[in-house]
Amino acid sequence: MFFRMLRGALFRQKGKMLMIALTIALGASLATAMLNIMMDVGDKVNQELKAYGANITVVPKTASLISDLYELEEGTVSESYLKEEELGNIKTIFWAFNITDFTPFIETQATLASGSNVALTGTWFNHHLDLPTGESLDAGIKSLRSWWDIESGDWIDEQVEGGSTSAMVGKTLATAENIKVGDMITLTASEGSAKLVVVGIFDAGGDEDDQIFAPIDIVQEISGTDGKISSIEVSALTTPDNELARKAAKDPSSLSVAQYETWYCTAYVSSICYQIQEVITDSVASAVRQVAESEGTILDKTQLLMILITILSLVGSALGISNLVTASVMERSQEIGLLKAVGAHDSAITGIVLTEIIITAIAGGVIGYFVGFGFAQIIGHTVFSAAIDMKPMVIPIVAVLIVIVTLIGSIPAIRMLLKLRPAEVLHGR
Amino acid sequence: MSKQKMYMRMITASLMRRRSRMLVALLAIAVGATILSGLVTIYYDVPRQMGAQFRNYGANMIMVATENGKTVTEDMMNSALEVIPEENIVGVAPYSYVTVRMRNIPIIAAATDLASAQKTSPYWFVTGEWPSASGEIMFGEEVAESLGMSIGDTIEVTFTPEITTGSAESTSGGDTADDESTADADTADGSAADEDTNIYMDFTVTGILDTGGNEEGYVFISLEDMALLTESEVTYDVVELSVSASSEELSSYVDEISALDAGVSSRLVKRVTQSETTVLTKLQALVLLVTIIVLMLTMICVATTMMAVATERRKEIGLRKALGAPNSSIVAEFMGEAILLGGIGGLVGSGLGFVFAELVSVNVFNSSINFQPALVPITIIVSVAITALSCMIPVRNATQVDPAIVLKGE
Repeated sequence: MFFRMLRGALFRQKGKMLMIALTIALGASLATAMLNIMMDVGDKVNQELKAYGANITVVPKTASLISDLYELEEGTVSESYLKEEELGNIKTIFWAFNITDFTPFIETQATLASGSNVALTGTWFNHHLDLPTGESLDAGIKSLRSWWDIESGDWIDEQVEGGSTSAMVGKTLATAENIKVGDMITLTASEGSAKLVVVGIFDAGGDEDDQIFAPIDIVQEISGTDGKISSIEVSALTTPDNELARKAAKDPSSLSVAQYETWYCTAYVSSICYQIQEVITDSVASAVRQVAESEGTILDKTQLLMILITILSLVGSALGISNLVTASVMERSQEIGLLKAVGAHDSAITGIVLTEIIITAIAGGVIGYFVGFGFAQIIGHTVFSAAIDMKPMVIPIVAVLIVIVTLIGSIPAIRMLLKLRPAEVLHGR
Repeated sequence: MSKQKMYMRMITASLMRRRSRMLVALLAIAVGATILSGLVTIYYDVPRQMGAQFRNYGANMIMVATENGKTVTEDMMNSALEVIPEENIVGVAPYSYVTVRMRNIPIIAAATDLASAQKTSPYWFVTGEWPSASGEIMFGEEVAESLGMSIGDTIEVTFTPEITTGSAESTSGGDTADDESTADADTADGSAADEDTNIYMDFTVTGILDTGGNEEGYVFISLEDMALLTESEVTYDVVELSVSASSEELSSYVDEISALDAGVSSRLVKRVTQSETTVLTKLQALVLLVTIIVLMLTMICVATTMMAVATERRKEIGLRKALGAPNSSIVAEFMGEAILLGGIGGLVGSGLGFVFAELVSVNVFNSSINFQPALVPITIIVSVAITALSCMIPVRNATQVDPAIVLKGE
């Protein structure tokens, strides 16, 4: 009998129940969309902030201490190098998944055909890496120097024929030496010379405007530094620093075992640096504070902003739902009055009204979840051109929220219904 | 006049009589209006507030002397700074680089306005304290390590003035300074003269600087100490500026400064400005989309609530029609109620929305939000429109039905 009444109520008042379901679906979709975005916004913004370039630099141990002092004297290129064959190790550390990009550099001096000396840098542009884990990655300065303006020509594409004998020339140098895209330049270094085709002229807004960039192999060949690199830039997704990370950055051995575990297994910039040093012989990895620190701040602020907006919209949708539930339950005073008149108990009435509403709420909630997930994807694709991860945690949160909100929304209405006097209601007053 | 009075009376009476139901409706409208005004206020303020956060990345503009080898004087700097509105300037840190010697090792000393340097380079991590009094010095981590200095140590700094007048290259390498001092000793008669040309000053280390960049290879002192040390007026090699403005505004400042022809030219730090534009645009788009979706859903919620509230009054409408009221007067009455409800809800909501936006701003950005006066009328108009629209649908349906059927309750 209970189920028959229930079914009757649900189907007879199709329109009304649809409206409640619709409102609940709207509220649920709002909650789902906002929660999904809020939980994923950290990762997404972190990716965007990679535009600021590498946040970790790796240099040989001896060079890090004295390179600047030496530069003072003469600008000599430091004598110690890192080993190129160890580069792949960076993708084998504990936080390998968080390393989004890295590129090696070799710096040398070369002479142009005109006789002028230039700084020549060998590096990766869009180097294709097949990792032992089965992943593949295109790494290089094309993404690590996203702020470079290509004045004319294009980036070097290492993956096409002729890519290894191309060069890119800084704007200032190109103007001074009258180099244009398509020109052939001859570079002579200590151990040989090479003819390179200029494929692009860039404006970096800094020292690089006076330099020539070429693929690393050719530079190593003509400078006699086969298999050697002078520095590595690493771009990693990191967690903002806290007290523990600061303490560890100074001296990891000062931590207790438990603290060390926590630190090592959290993607702090200092623990990633530490892990890189473990896999690259005689290296010093240090955080580029300008990038690392600022990333942390902006990430924190964006997340907090999204959390507050989410809370506001959750409160909004909760009020919306409970409002409508109150309004629609109150409407049914006549029906309830009749039930009472024929002798229904308060508990039976409460049971039937609540069950109806919960069934409607579940239906609305399920629809709302998928619609909201769709909204989250729309935002993800429009803003970040990437899908928003589906967080399973959102489902129970939304479910609990909806049930609580509908129940709270029905309390004042049910209390009022129970106070009704059948005779009065049926009389229509 | 009496007709209008009657109209007002009907509206207010109908609201007052059904107090609890109208409160529900009012609450719904007020919540919708709060979300509207709160989110839009935040949306408008996000670029400004986030832009300020992006100043964490440090200087986005530098000024150098137009002529090669010349330095910037304070007057030149000030005249160039007039181009940029004062409220946009986060920090201006002039730097003067001079080669000094400590324990006979040449080291670059950077003199700057230390208070401003903290603003232009907020990411600098200093162990210990920034120098605040005369005779205090801050070491870059690399220099501190190679000289074995720690906080609290005292070190003697030697400066050898350049004898050849006219050479403006005060930042030239340490060996040049060395050469000149020995050359000076050769030409001058005796070592006493050599002693005289060198200037000695004792400094106490107050802090060690960690940046992960070139700065770790320098030592930092105040401009006043630099004047004492070099016994001459300090001019700046480079002025770092942190300006909170969009990239277009920044470019226009650069053009204006070069048009001034004050001997100063400025350049943008591309890495900072370019990336800031990219990230900020994305963030703004994110907040915009979130705002639109939240608003859309909230407005639909408000509309459904209002529709539910109006639908219940089919009977009332039927009764009026049975008594001979024309449709237009029924619609007009409902409109009046909707405007009154929407207006009150919108007013309350725009106030609450501002409070919410302010709360967010203080919590997230530690600064208060800009009040957008235009939002108050907009919020009220939108709430009235939505309320009226969502009432009209059920009311129209009710007016089109035969009163007898409505009254019978079918």
